[in-house]
Amino acid sequence: MECKIILMGFGSVGQGIANVIAMKKDIIKDNYDAELKLVAVADSSSSAICQEGLDEQLLIDTKKNKGKLSNYPEYGSDISGIDVLDAVEYDCLIECTPTNKETGEPAYSLTMKAFEARKDVVTSNKGHLALRFKDVIDAAEKNNVQFRYEATVGGAMPIINCAKDTLSSCKIESITGILNGTTNYILSRMTAEGSSYEDILKESQELGIAETDPTADVEGEDAACKTVILANSLLGVDATYTDVEVIGISNITSEAIELAKDAGYLIKLIGEVTPTTLKVSPRLVKKGSAYDVSGTLNMATIKTDLADEITVVGKGAGSIETASAMITDLISILKLKK
Amino acid sequence: MEILLLKRLLGLNKVIIVRMNLLVEVKDAPGQLVAVLEPIRGLGANIVTVIHKREAKNEQGNVPVQLTLEGEKENLSNVVNKFKDLGFSILEINGTLDTEIISAILIGHLVDENLQDTIDRLNELEGVFVNEFNIQLSEDNKSAALINIELNAGKEELALGKLAEICSEKDFLMINNV
Ligand SMILES: NC(=O)c1ccc[n+]([C@@H]2O[C@H](COP(=O)([O-])OP(=O)(O)OC[C@H]3O[C@@H](n4cnc5c(N)ncnc54)[C@H](OP(=O)(O)O)[C@@H]3O)[C@@H](O)[C@H]2O)c1
Repeated sequence: MECKIILMGFGSVGQGIANVIAMKKDIIKDNYDAELKLVAVADSSSSAICQEGLDEQLLIDTKKNKGKLSNYPEYGSDISGIDVLDAVEYDCLIECTPTNKETGEPAYSLTMKAFEARKDVVTSNKGHLALRFKDVIDAAEKNNVQFRYEATVGGAMPIINCAKDTLSSCKIESITGILNGTTNYILSRMTAEGSSYEDILKESQELGIAETDPTADVEGEDAACKTVILANSLLGVDATYTDVEVIGISNITSEAIELAKDAGYLIKLIGEVTPTTLKVSPRLVKKGSAYDVSGTLNMATIKTDLADEITVVGKGAGSIETASAMITDLISILKLKK
Repeated sequence: MEILLLKRLLGLNKVIIVRMNLLVEVKDAPGQLVAVLEPIRGLGANIVTVIHKREAKNEQGNVPVQLTLEGEKENLSNVVNKFKDLGFSILEINGTLDTEIISAILIGHLVDENLQDTIDRLNELEGVFVNEFNIQLSEDNKSAALINIELNAGKEELALGKLAEICSEKDFLMINNV
């Protein structure tokens, strides 16, 4: 069986997908009898399209060295955006365009179009899910297609599939966790070094851990999107972004961290999901507790009715790490088709 | 509390207010209760409650006095030492009350926004007591404080609700336990 893939978005995560496919396609063929082929790959203004399949390494080299995918030898194209979905035959859309929590675009339109064409979709994009989770899920059901989004929460850290599949006998009562790696990194370093928020933010930006515009991370917006996705997918709460109470970390002072430390606590940006509360805020956690994870790591404690508490920890971001969750989602879809 | 604020104004930027429960045994004789209370004042501690349990007189003719004191840690330990020097027997320190302590960090203009009022409004609640208020002043006038609140069982929601209300009114960032 062939699995023809359109990959929308060719930044950090998109290139991770190309890398992972190159690394794992033989094993996937052996184990699941599926031959993965990238038939179209798009960035913001161009694409590379070939029904016979594109070369993963050449895609990465072209993007790195020549900037635009239209420079891909022979198959480079000026077709971009939603039109790419009409330019080639495919089975699955892997969508990793930038998250936009104001409009949910381009993810929403791309996903809807794929569903209507009866194609499965795997995404890492939080925007459309934080705004219109139910619309997206309903459309997938209506069109009888698969939709997977493990990478949207906690990157490589397994949480959505873990709760849905591995803990399927349990009712999920609440989820509490560190859902943003950038803020965890900043707070961890403030704790270790006693430095100010401003100084550590600046250094994090220089290291590429925080973005030039750090708002989405430091003001808790990214974590808030994730609480919405968890509430909808695991607790069955019909919530949207505006339902989240959000407080970020930009007002945390080194004095506050010091006081917490003296009393045996750490300050962490915590996302909380219960049937009645959606909240992202700085909180005190006990040193040595499950919440005591530092650096860019993410963690979440899932409270269930039967299994009590289950805690997962993992890398919340990274090119290959995030791609790993998406390819796992793809394999789950392949298993259903077998 | 006035003493504590004064200390802050004098440039000591760490102020820790603690509450302590003491069970002291005294002779059931005239003047004994005063003898116990007398040394406390001079040592910078405030007396919150005194319960003189005359009905609980033991075979030696001694009666227990239950004291709740508040003040800086150091002052309270001076009181304990003074009691020992004076030969009062201390049966219990900090008792075995059925209480729990919750912590929170506050960030904001804690002093300008009437520190005393913040503490008083929590203390007004039944079964809620601010046990420690450790304030750290910073150069850019937003200070931070660790507040420990001692609670009787079942009072957590009440206390946190009130604290959240005060914080939102005074524009403090409240960081409470997860
Ligand atoms: N980075 C992570 O570790 C991570 C982890 C979990 C989830 N995510 C999510 O995954 C998504 C991708 O993240 P990223 O870090 O890979 O972002 P990125 O490096 O900024 O890459 C975004 C890519 O999308 C392309 N793009 C922008 N608008 C497009 C459009 N309308 N149509 C097609 N492509 C478009 C960009 O094109 P140009 O190359 O032309 O700019 C770029 O190639 C985001 O939604 C993010 O929230 C990321």
